[in-house]
Amino acid sequence: MQKQTTTLKDIINNYGATFAFIVAIIFFSFASQGFFSGQNLNNILVQSTSLGICAFGLTFVLITGEIDLSYGGVIGLVGAILAGMLKDGHSIGMVTLVCLSVGLATGLLNAILIVVLNLPSFLASVAVMFICMGAERIYNQGITTWIRHPEILSIVQSSVGPVPLPVVYLFALFVICWFLQTQTRVGQYVRALGENINAVREVGIREKLLKSMVFVAAGLIFAFAGYIEILRIGGAVMYAGKALLLSVLAACFLGTATFKAGKANFPGTLIGAFFLYTLLSGFTALGMKFYLVPFAQGLILIISVAISSVRRGKIEQVQF
Amino acid sequence: MNIPKDDQRNIVVKTERVSKSFPGVKALRELDFEVTRGEVHALCGENGAGKSTLMKTIVREYIEEEGDIFIEGQNVKDMGIRDVQELGLALIHQDLNLIPMQSVAQNICLGREPVNWFGKIDWKAMRKMASQFLAEVTTEIDVEELVENLSISQQQLVSIARSLVTSPSILILDEPTARLDQKASDAFFAFLERAKQKNLTVIYISHRLEEIYRICDRVTVLRDGRKIITSQIENLSQTELVKHMLGREITQQVPKERVPIGETCLSVNSLFPKEKGEDINFELKSGEILGIVGSIGAGKSEVARAIFGADPIRKGGIHIAGKKIRINTPQDAITHGLALIPEERRAQGLVGNESVRRNITLASLKKKFCNGPSWINQALEIRKVREYISALAIATPTTEQEVQFLSGGTQQKVVVGKWLMSDSNIYIFDEPTKGIDVGGKYDIYKLIVDLARKGAGVIFISNELTEVLSLCDRALVMFHGRIIKELITESTNREEVLFYVMGGRDYAETDNNVKGHH
Repeated sequence: MQKQTTTLKDIINNYGATFAFIVAIIFFSFASQGFFSGQNLNNILVQSTSLGICAFGLTFVLITGEIDLSYGGVIGLVGAILAGMLKDGHSIGMVTLVCLSVGLATGLLNAILIVVLNLPSFLASVAVMFICMGAERIYNQGITTWIRHPEILSIVQSSVGPVPLPVVYLFALFVICWFLQTQTRVGQYVRALGENINAVREVGIREKLLKSMVFVAAGLIFAFAGYIEILRIGGAVMYAGKALLLSVLAACFLGTATFKAGKANFPGTLIGAFFLYTLLSGFTALGMKFYLVPFAQGLILIISVAISSVRRGKIEQVQF
Repeated sequence: MNIPKDDQRNIVVKTERVSKSFPGVKALRELDFEVTRGEVHALCGENGAGKSTLMKTIVREYIEEEGDIFIEGQNVKDMGIRDVQELGLALIHQDLNLIPMQSVAQNICLGREPVNWFGKIDWKAMRKMASQFLAEVTTEIDVEELVENLSISQQQLVSIARSLVTSPSILILDEPTARLDQKASDAFFAFLERAKQKNLTVIYISHRLEEIYRICDRVTVLRDGRKIITSQIENLSQTELVKHMLGREITQQVPKERVPIGETCLSVNSLFPKEKGEDINFELKSGEILGIVGSIGAGKSEVARAIFGADPIRKGGIHIAGKKIRINTPQDAITHGLALIPEERRAQGLVGNESVRRNITLASLKKKFCNGPSWINQALEIRKVREYISALAIATPTTEQEVQFLSGGTQQKVVVGKWLMSDSNIYIFDEPTKGIDVGGKYDIYKLIVDLARKGAGVIFISNELTEVLSLCDRALVMFHGRIIKELITESTNREEVLFYVMGGRDYAETDNNVKGHH
């Protein structure tokens, strides 16, 4: 088997979105004075944390070839419970435990619906999303609850040296996920599951248990994202997850055009999340009218994905 | 080989009255089967005889309804896939279950990755482990290469290497050579020789006589889910083996009708399909039904797809009605009056959730039913479709029924109807009766004969020899990507066809030789 020579075209095909991301950073740095400052870059990082964390959860699920949109509801539900319980005077440890349990429970519910009852994951997870939204509305009765505990707010507001804590969480979780995915057996099996389920069955791996574990882990990560998001905002606004719903999805799919063409992966998702906020921040720094920003974002996304999707045909050909 | 006959310890695999059925099919019927330690045991039978089902039952991928299976003397009734692997069984499947975007090493070690105390995969140990197992089969593949970059032949070798990871003492190979090229095939047989010396037990499913007689000690023939015979290979001639596989002639209701044969309508000249196949030459006359037979992997569908422009070709080409035609896409083929009714009709030939009407007129909407650029004349369309439904006896309540709810045979007729409507004059049927009940088959045969009577040329690709012999005027036998024999169906029989399908060289001569032996 001869080694293929790498051409510029291959690089763009494989790393299209990364390429566009770098171009965008360079462009904004020259075009706008405020963009390339420590303060602004810090802002971009902090703003992308909850989106990035949530997208890691989704990435796990996408790798197995399924989808899980329940985070659209889980984030809001976790936020409502967080704010509500703090107001009722519960301890921080207790509140944190309950929040994570909510993620565990919704993850389990997803696993039961999708793995045990064999419902399509898109439909099942959207249903779970609606259920969570409903539960959120019942719990907080539609009222925004602000959080005024300096102790718990310090979880997102302090820094380690110059690095804000949320960014530390984001990168810590990234390292854990990436390690799990690329360096452990479970990671290998999860990937194999998404590519050829028969191969996994044939060697005697229990694929249903594996898939259930992925949904439960994703639920936990979604809850953590909700926890950080609400603390960052400083209060549980209604349906906080809804705002993230499509950005998280976009970050993951942008990620598929970032490193390994066509496959969801963690470095890609991370870059995807940064990319989305870089565009937002960059266009704002340029003084673009706020209502034109989504328009420009959309255009850039199309371009960056389009230049890298050429390889898809090749991936399909190796299936037999 | 010297096997003490009554030593039970030497029987490593044993099935007793095992039965297994799938909806509508009895795949295994009270089957007794035995394999002794250290032998290479061939398992033969026609397609659907139950070979793969039996093997999958033994490795616990399927669970039998009745009977018992013993591996190394242990009843495996309550065991799972992993448990029998620990008893030393490994099955190499007919379809390669590899993960294309991962490396050879990752594929070989899947499920057995070496890890350190921390749970991190030890990549170096993994590469070493993979190279070690791969080296038993071949030295020509780099363990770090991605599987998607390997040829099918190489992928087959990798999947063999993967099965060695569990250090099996019993290796089951399901048509391992169907996908191997010459070089990989040599590597594979060298591996088998070494395995034999190490006293590995091998169960070998194959459709190739030459291989069976070259490497196997004993052979068991299955037919319709029953065991017909187990014999030492030297006590069974090739022609006898083929006879056992076929059994008594089953009289099938195929409308045998010869129609006058006209001019050459299609000639294929030195065609080299890119996927599989070499130097394909044949002619098809109008009114003729030409069969193409061959086992899985012989390259039949590849030839059909290459002619139709669905797959690229390396060189060569076709003439239609004496004129050289360049066909690059199926659209070109359709323009020149070709029609392909593909094997995977659900995937390739039909829009499952669309109506019978839409499916039938799909290929001829523009030509026949459009007023202006895109306005469909619905009334005319419905009238025409009704005519076709009654002419082809398509069993559908209305023209608007979604085709996914129709039976396999009826769906097949809808596909045929589609091509009839588009005025084709050369039809290629790829396994048209696969998975269709007897009544449905009969209707399709009748349809094909009707097409021939109207002067169309028909290419009929099939694995079922009976239908080829009774329906076709001529049959081409493919083996390993080549047409190795042309037979006139009136002057041949099933044994002769199967003999060539399995790669036999000279039917008349072998028969005489064997008789001389006895």
